Amino acid sequence: MAELFVQQAVNWITLGCIYALLAIGFSLIFGVLNVIHFSHGDVAMTSPFIALAIAQALAIAVGVASPAWLIVAACAAVFVVGLIGVTLDKVVIRRFRDAPPMMALVATVALGIVIRELIRHLYPQGSNPHAFPRLASGVAFEVAGVQVGWFSLLVVTLTFVLVALLFAFLRLTPLGLRIRAASEDRVVARMMGIRDTRVFRATFFVASAIGAIAGLLFASYAGVTRFDFGVMAGLLGFSAAVIGGLGSMPGAILGGLIIAGIEVLAQTFVPDGASYRLVFVFLLVIGVLLFRPEGLLGRAVMVKV
Amino acid sequence: MSAGSSSPTIGQGKAATIAVAAQLCGAGFLYLILKAEGGWQVIGLLALLAAGFYLLEKRPQIADLVTASFSQAPVVAVGTAAVVVLLFPFVVGSNTYVLHLLIVAQLYAVLALALNFQLGSANIPNFATGASYGIGAYVSALLAINFGMSFWLTLPVAAVAATLFGFLIGIPSMRTRDTYLALVTIAFGVVVQQLLNNLSWTGGPNGLVGIPAPSLFGHSFADPLVVFGWKLPSQANFYYLSAALVVVAIVTARRLHSSRIGLAWNALRADEIAARAQGINVAWFKVLAFAVDAFLAAFAGTIYAFYVSYISPDNFTFLVSVTIMTMVIVGGMDNIFGVIVGAFLLTILPEKLRAFSDYRLLFFGIVIIGFLMIRPQGLFPQRMRSYGESK
Amino acid sequence: MNALLEVENATMRFGGLVALNDISFSVGRGEVLAVIGPNGAGKSTLFNVVTGVYRPTSGRVRFDGSDITGHPAHDVVARGVGRTFQTSRLFSDLSVLDNVIIGMHTRTGTGVLGALFLPGASRREMAACVEKAEALLKAGSGDLFEQRYRLAGTLAQADRRRLEIARALASEPKLLLLDEPSVGMDEIETDALIADIARLKRERADLSVILIEHDMRVVEAFPHQVICIDYGSKIAEGDFAAVKADPRVQEAYLGKAAVHA
Repeated sequence: MAELFVQQAVNWITLGCIYALLAIGFSLIFGVLNVIHFSHGDVAMTSPFIALAIAQALAIAVGVASPAWLIVAACAAVFVVGLIGVTLDKVVIRRFRDAPPMMALVATVALGIVIRELIRHLYPQGSNPHAFPRLASGVAFEVAGVQVGWFSLLVVTLTFVLVALLFAFLRLTPLGLRIRAASEDRVVARMMGIRDTRVFRATFFVASAIGAIAGLLFASYAGVTRFDFGVMAGLLGFSAAVIGGLGSMPGAILGGLIIAGIEVLAQTFVPDGASYRLVFVFLLVIGVLLFRPEGLLGRAVMVKV
Repeated sequence: MSAGSSSPTIGQGKAATIAVAAQLCGAGFLYLILKAEGGWQVIGLLALLAAGFYLLEKRPQIADLVTASFSQAPVVAVGTAAVVVLLFPFVVGSNTYVLHLLIVAQLYAVLALALNFQLGSANIPNFATGASYGIGAYVSALLAINFGMSFWLTLPVAAVAATLFGFLIGIPSMRTRDTYLALVTIAFGVVVQQLLNNLSWTGGPNGLVGIPAPSLFGHSFADPLVVFGWKLPSQANFYYLSAALVVVAIVTARRLHSSRIGLAWNALRADEIAARAQGINVAWFKVLAFAVDAFLAAFAGTIYAFYVSYISPDNFTFLVSVTIMTMVIVGGMDNIFGVIVGAFLLTILPEKLRAFSDYRLLFFGIVIIGFLMIRPQGLFPQRMRSYGESK
Repeated sequence: MNALLEVENATMRFGGLVALNDISFSVGRGEVLAVIGPNGAGKSTLFNVVTGVYRPTSGRVRFDGSDITGHPAHDVVARGVGRTFQTSRLFSDLSVLDNVIIGMHTRTGTGVLGALFLPGASRREMAACVEKAEALLKAGSGDLFEQRYRLAGTLAQADRRRLEIARALASEPKLLLLDEPSVGMDEIETDALIADIARLKRERADLSVILIEHDMRVVEAFPHQVICIDYGSKIAEGDFAAVKADPRVQEAYLGKAAVHA
């Protein structure tokens, strides 16, 4: 019994960290731009494909296959996806910054569709699932008779490191300070000379890069990647961000853990629970949006009348 | 939005002629595009259409003239429309594929008109409109299969069921706004689809089969339709049924739009706080929009179920909701004619561009973004209400 | 004490910020009350509390004999309170005429079923609204009637204020709340505004008006009560001359140093 508990706890924390990383991207973008970037999940899930492509290219170029290629490719993919995020902002999302929020939402939903279809068409055999290896395999240690893999350790460590780095970046660097100022009040920030463009570019880059890491971990956890993983990743990551509170980093982490928790609980205790997990998650999202729309840790916004 | 209401006064005869000519042109174009084979013919017709729009943009007087003609010769206009709709299947002949396209286009027109109440008139995003469509279809199908209920009886029952669902989604709308509301509707849509997929009595992922064809006065809709010696394929039955539904939808839309209700929706779209300050119970009107949308969507769903006699959760996904939303956005927000044109265009074109069918979703996505960036009010922007000239 | 509106000890807190502090006053039928005070003093908040946009943290609002504290805005309007907004909140993509017709929402009754199944009655009701709306537009200053088919968003500033007033009047209110109606008006337009309000008072003797104003010419034009609010508290009450002379009021507007210079 204890074994089951510990095993599930490990799953929970691993999955929770992955969702948290996804949620952070949503929260970061929303906090600064007040736009819900619905296609963030799809952007994030381009990274496994890009990593696979780069790894294969490296293998061909050098003539030798090696697991190291994937690690290198993964790092490169993170950077590339960061750039993709920035480009998308420049080409599409920027135009909707001051538009009515509903228009921005529909536009980003459509953008998600476009990204998914592009993956499907541009990647060879894009409609099929592609195997994605664990980025770290093997058992690290045992606790209460349960084996904890290196992968789980990797996920948790990476999450801690990223969150700490992000925190430091936002609090301690000048650019981070400007981002926080812009998220408090964009108009005033602009009047104080904070240049919109740099702040938004940085925000999108960081958010997309973190999303890319989440995407790689997600694919790794699942063992495969599919062109439409972005839908699930987006919906789950976004729900986590909303539950925790859009615009709040700690909220994103909390939300990620809650969603992962629901998923693990549903899988363990409800027969055929896996297919129902979305139902539970979304019922919770609906509940939160109804009773505490600013999320558990978010700030309520008062509108001046 | 077209401003100013300086509608030219035209002679009765001229108005009637213009009304008839405009409709015949439209019908002719529709016929051509339905019969077009091969990518080039379609692209040619599309180019013609684009040229038409360009002309309308440059010379808005044309649009004003046509609209004025319609309102000045209403009997002739409606009469011509009736004749065109009734005779179309005869002109098409026994081309069942074309009839099928028309049926689907008409059903989507109804769905788009239904969504227009929320999206166009009230600016409430509803990504769950596919779910109301699906609930209508499933409820009527289940009633027919399990209880042998006749199609005509399942219609109102399914409509009521879907309306209740509409009220259910509407309740959160009272307290949430804008993007959060959109999320709630997305969440509801996903929940409904997952439930349909997983519950055994809805047939699970395999759906429901064997929905019996409706019959009217002993004539089964599965049989060919014989009129004055002319024999039309069985699809014609559903064509006329769905055309009738489109008429109902148009009448509903017009009556609501020009009434106190339509004004209240437009008010809450423009400024919710100001709307409240005029005494509009915003919460109620939001819920109402959801309910009306669900009601009409259920009718479309029921007809669809009995037409194809087989439904599955895949027919009512999030993507379906997005498609319907595209039709409203592209066609024209809060413009009845525009929405119908949008529905027809976005149903027929993807079918005709079969060569590119694999790119259909990509096309949709790009089209939505394009329109939202360049022409968010749609092909046919909303028109100002006019109340006749006063001194 | 047959006051139309009674506000008793209204306090409005937003977190730590006290926007209204224990304010009490009353307005009788047919009276005009002016509310003055420096920017940010809480005057608009007062309107929001009276009209149900905010529920006061404590205190009561009584209108026409009933307690309406915290009632939703649409209910308050139905009871006979009309208001304008400090920043015009017009329905920009609708015509001037439609804006006024929407103002009549509480005085009309067509519901969904009526609109769908009794189109004739619905049309007749709408036609009656159009007539009344046109009459309202004609009666006001400016040429709103000639512009009745313009999009409200394209109007000039003075016309926007006039339209706001016409829309508020459309609901046949017993109490009219005007929030800085003369904003953006030059002298001539302000004179026209004063004439409008005077005419309103003549035509509807029973109509009570509460006026938030910065332009003292408008405040001075009406023989009535004035209250001054500063930092959410009422600091003076009386007729215009008395309030104008009150040193606390002068301090609030001009600052301590200026007053005692």
